[in-house]
Formats: sequence, structure tokens, C-alpha cells
Amino acid sequence: MTVSTVSGSATAPRGPDRAPARRVPAGVVLSFLVIALVVAWSVAPGLFTAQDPVDGVPADLFLPPSAEHLFGTDHLGRDLFSRVVHGTSSSVTSALVAVAIGVLSGGLIGLIAGFLGGLVDVLLARFVDVLLAIPSFLLAVVVVSALGFQTINAAIATGISAVAVFARVMRSEVLKTRSAVYVEAALLLGGSRTHVLLRHVLPNASRSVLQLAVLHFGLSILVIAGLAFLGYGDPPPASDWGLLVASGKDHPMAPWLVWAPALVTIVTVLSVNRISRWLRTTD
Amino acid sequence: MNRDWTGYALRRAGQAVVVVLLAYVFTFVVISVLPGDPVTATLRNPENGFSEEEIARVIAYYGLDQPVHVQLWEALSRFLVGDLGVSLRSDRPVADMLTEVLGSTLALAGTALVVAVVLAFGIAFGAQYLPRPFGPALRAFPSLFLSVPNFLIGLLLIQLFSFQLGLFRAIDADSPTATFFAALTLGIPVSAQIAEVLIANLDHESRQEYAAVARSRGLGRPALLLRHLLKPSSLPVVTVLALTVGELLGGAVITEAVFGRTGVGSLVERSVAMQDLPVLQAVVALAAVVFVVVNLVADLVYPLLDPRVSLQAGPERGVAAR
Repeated sequence: MTVSTVSGSATAPRGPDRAPARRVPAGVVLSFLVIALVVAWSVAPGLFTAQDPVDGVPADLFLPPSAEHLFGTDHLGRDLFSRVVHGTSSSVTSALVAVAIGVLSGGLIGLIAGFLGGLVDVLLARFVDVLLAIPSFLLAVVVVSALGFQTINAAIATGISAVAVFARVMRSEVLKTRSAVYVEAALLLGGSRTHVLLRHVLPNASRSVLQLAVLHFGLSILVIAGLAFLGYGDPPPASDWGLLVASGKDHPMAPWLVWAPALVTIVTVLSVNRISRWLRTTD
Repeated sequence: MNRDWTGYALRRAGQAVVVVLLAYVFTFVVISVLPGDPVTATLRNPENGFSEEEIARVIAYYGLDQPVHVQLWEALSRFLVGDLGVSLRSDRPVADMLTEVLGSTLALAGTALVVAVVLAFGIAFGAQYLPRPFGPALRAFPSLFLSVPNFLIGLLLIQLFSFQLGLFRAIDADSPTATFFAALTLGIPVSAQIAEVLIANLDHESRQEYAAVARSRGLGRPALLLRHLLKPSSLPVVTVLALTVGELLGGAVITEAVFGRTGVGSLVERSVAMQDLPVLQAVVALAAVVFVVVNLVADLVYPLLDPRVSLQAGPERGVAAR
């Protein structure tokens, strides 16, 4: 069943006077600003904080948040804001790696299955069923334990656990486009299969896959944070967001050690999800 | 209709068996193809105190001196007769270790499922029928729930209800109250997915003509919901529920770690730390069996619940974002 068949009863806006309806909502603008800040943190952390994320000041243990230490300090007197900002790059990059693996391998599987059809489709569909049958977090845990405990391996594992979803969406998009009249026309006009694939099928499928990729970027941040929380990522002094929460929970008298990195994670993922929803509705 | 259904059921059951077997093979391949030889490394580690005899026995049992495809064949034929292998750490049968912890995780996942359903229906009904600003505000909840790391919900609940209010003691992990809060942790992300589907379906159904007719006959909103909208809106939840079962099993790893429970999740965590691969493989196989069986049952029951679904095309499964 189509889970959200929101076939809007509103008729499409006609005429120039209805044009402002396409304006970007304020929440989406805010989300883009948050993501821009997060990207800036990961590209140039030095611009946002001058304090050392690795070496602490022994006199400044467990200082609560203040103007000087926005997120307070930890058990070694390190500035937590600086640690969060410096950990951004690793958290964001690993989520990107995970999404890239999911999009590329899942997309390829879905594309081949949908485009070739027949026996290939049946075999690939069975493979995707197998991937779906293994709980994705469990699959990520097994892969990361086979590869070794590093953040990059956690990213690869997260990507592998997302392959099935991308394969499914890509396949259904390809099937939808393949049966379209203009594709039939292109083939009748003598277009080669590669031409149809590149000119018609891929551009049409890319929209849904893009929206799913954005959604999975947020999801991957959560999964990788979960793996880091369990200790399957880089060990300290790395400062991935999940790792910061995990080490912060050992000091209950300094709750900011948990809440600051946690809030950064939540706000980032919320923004990503908002953008993904907006992409879906502007279709 | 009945013959159609039987044929469909047999076909689907056959597919399910194939998927479970392939999932076992897939895990085997992931573990043995990826670099590193954890099994012999574990056995040879002097800290584990295996004698040469025991090492030889384990190596012979797993056929580690054989080529990979022979090992695979042996592992698969053992799996088919229900032998899950022997732990590399404790030298105990994996099946025993699993049955020991299964009860705790089933209690956790079962409670979580109930919590998720109750929470989801509460959110969806509230979003529909509460006055402004509460109703519309509830619509933001699923998205919020899906943006919070699962371990954080657990930490928050422990902080609030155990440390501050003293409702349960974090040490006594298996008490009913502690189980409830662990289940809440596990159930909240799942409830978000169910609530999203329910809200969308209620919106969709209340725009249908039959709903307008019922309203024009003077039916109040609660009666309209109970008599007309509830059934068509909540039937698809069966499919979503089945799809989220895997998430409950995967999420148990983190939840059990946060709450210090002993269960399948903590067994996974321990086995990962100690590279006890036969245990990991057995857990994955178990999870795949549970997922496949639950989804099979959901797909088979669905056409019986919803007469609109024809078997010709086979009931489509909702594509829930995992």
C-alpha cells in the first residue's frame, strides 16, 4: 500500500499571482543555516574556536558552561565546545561516506535490476530481501566487528546496512520510468539503451534517490553515533559526537558533557530531516 | 479465494526459507571474506588458555583447515539441523547461550512493541482531534523522535526517573519498572514511524467521500473516527509493525547496554568485543528468522483483514524508511 498517498486536493497554482506559494518555508531556511554552520565547523574548526581540543588545562576541570567555555569543560579540563567543533568533521564525513556507499551500490543494484529485468531482477531482488531481513543496526555491528573498530569502518558498515533501501527505491523508480510513454518513444526513435538510461531513466530517478539520500545522511549520523557510543569507532582523544556523549555519561555531576554534544546531534539531524521532508513535498 | 490464498502462502513460505538460508550464508561470507582471521587469532591467544587438544578440536569442528566453500557447506548443513555451533570463548554451545538470554530480550522487545503502538495511536489521535495549538504541535513529534539518538533517550530516562525521582534502581535491571523504561527507550523511535503512517492515513481517509457523507449525516468527530476512519487507517500499521521488528532487535544492542540488562543485545556486544563470531552469526540468523517469519505472517494475514487487497498482485509492502 502506498503509505502516504497525499494526493493534494489543492489544485496546482495557476497564473503569476500564485507564484509566491513556492517560497521556501522559514523552517527550511533555518535548517539550511544549521547545516551550513555544521559544514563550516567540519571544514575549518580553527575559525570557530581557538582552544585546544586535545590538551586540557588541569586547573579548569568540570567548569559549567560560561562565556569563556560555551559548553563547559570536561574531566581533563578540555573545552567541550572546541571538542565538539573539532569532532564535527569526523562525524559528518563518516555519515557522507555511509550515504555514498548506500547510494552508489544500492543505486547500481536497483538500476541493473530494474533496467535489465528478468532473471537478473529476480536474483537481485532476493539478495535485497536478504539484506532487509538482517536488522540494519545488527548488520552494521557485525560488519564493523569484522573490519575492526575505527570510525571509517563504522561508516562503511553503516553504508552497507543502507544498501537494500536504496536498491529498492532505485528499482521502483527505474520501473516507473521504463514504462513511461516517452521512454517507449525514445526507444522507437532508435535511441540506444545507454541513451535512454542516461537521458531519461537516471535523471528521473535521481529526485527520489536524492531525497532518500538526505534522509539517510541524518540517519547515518545517528547510527554512527550509536556505534561510537558502543565504542566501535576511533578511541579518544577523537571527539566524534557519539563518543563525546558516551564519555560524558560517566560524569553525572557534569550533565553538560552529555547534553551539549547531544543537542548538537539532535539539531543537526532535525535540520537534515526537515530538508528531506521539504524536498519530498516540492516534488 | 481460499485456494488462491493457500498457493500464495506456500509460495511466500518457500521464499522465506530461502531468504533465511541466504542470510546465514551472507553473514558467513561477510565474516570469512573480510580481512583478518579472528577465529584462530582468538584460539591461539594464550590469555584464553585453550590447550592444543581443544584448539585442534575446535578447528576440526569448524573445518578451519578446509577451503572456504567446504566450511560454508558444513556450516550450512549444521544450521539446517539446528546446530548453531560452539562459542569460541566459553566452549559452550551457542544455542544454550542464546536460550539463556532470549527471555529477557523478548520481554523487552514485546513491551517496547506495545509501548510503541500505544504511543503512536495517542500521538496520531491527538494530532487529529486536540485543539490548536496542541494538535498541530503533536505532528512534529514523530520527526523529533526520529532525530534523537536512541541511547540519549535512555540516558535521559535514567537521569530523570531513576536518579532524580527514584522510580527504579538502575542496578536492578530486570525489575518491571526498569524494563518499562528500557522498553520506552526502544519503543519511541518505532512509535514515530507508526505515528507518521497513521497520521497520513487518517488525513487521507477523512478527506474521502464516505467520511464527508457520514459527517453530513450529523456524525460527530469521535464517532466518525471510531466507526469509519479507524479500521482503514490502522490496517497498514500491521505491515509497518512487521517491518520494525528488525529495528527492535537491532536497537536492543544499545538499549541493553545503556540499561545494563543481560539479553541478546548484550550478548552481541560481548561477542563483538571478544570476536566470538559463531555467536554473532547465530544472533544474525535468529534475527533474520524472526524478521522473515513476522513479515510472512503479516503478509499472509493482511488479505484476510483487508478484503480490498487482491492476491493477484500480492499485497504490496509499505516502504518504511529504516
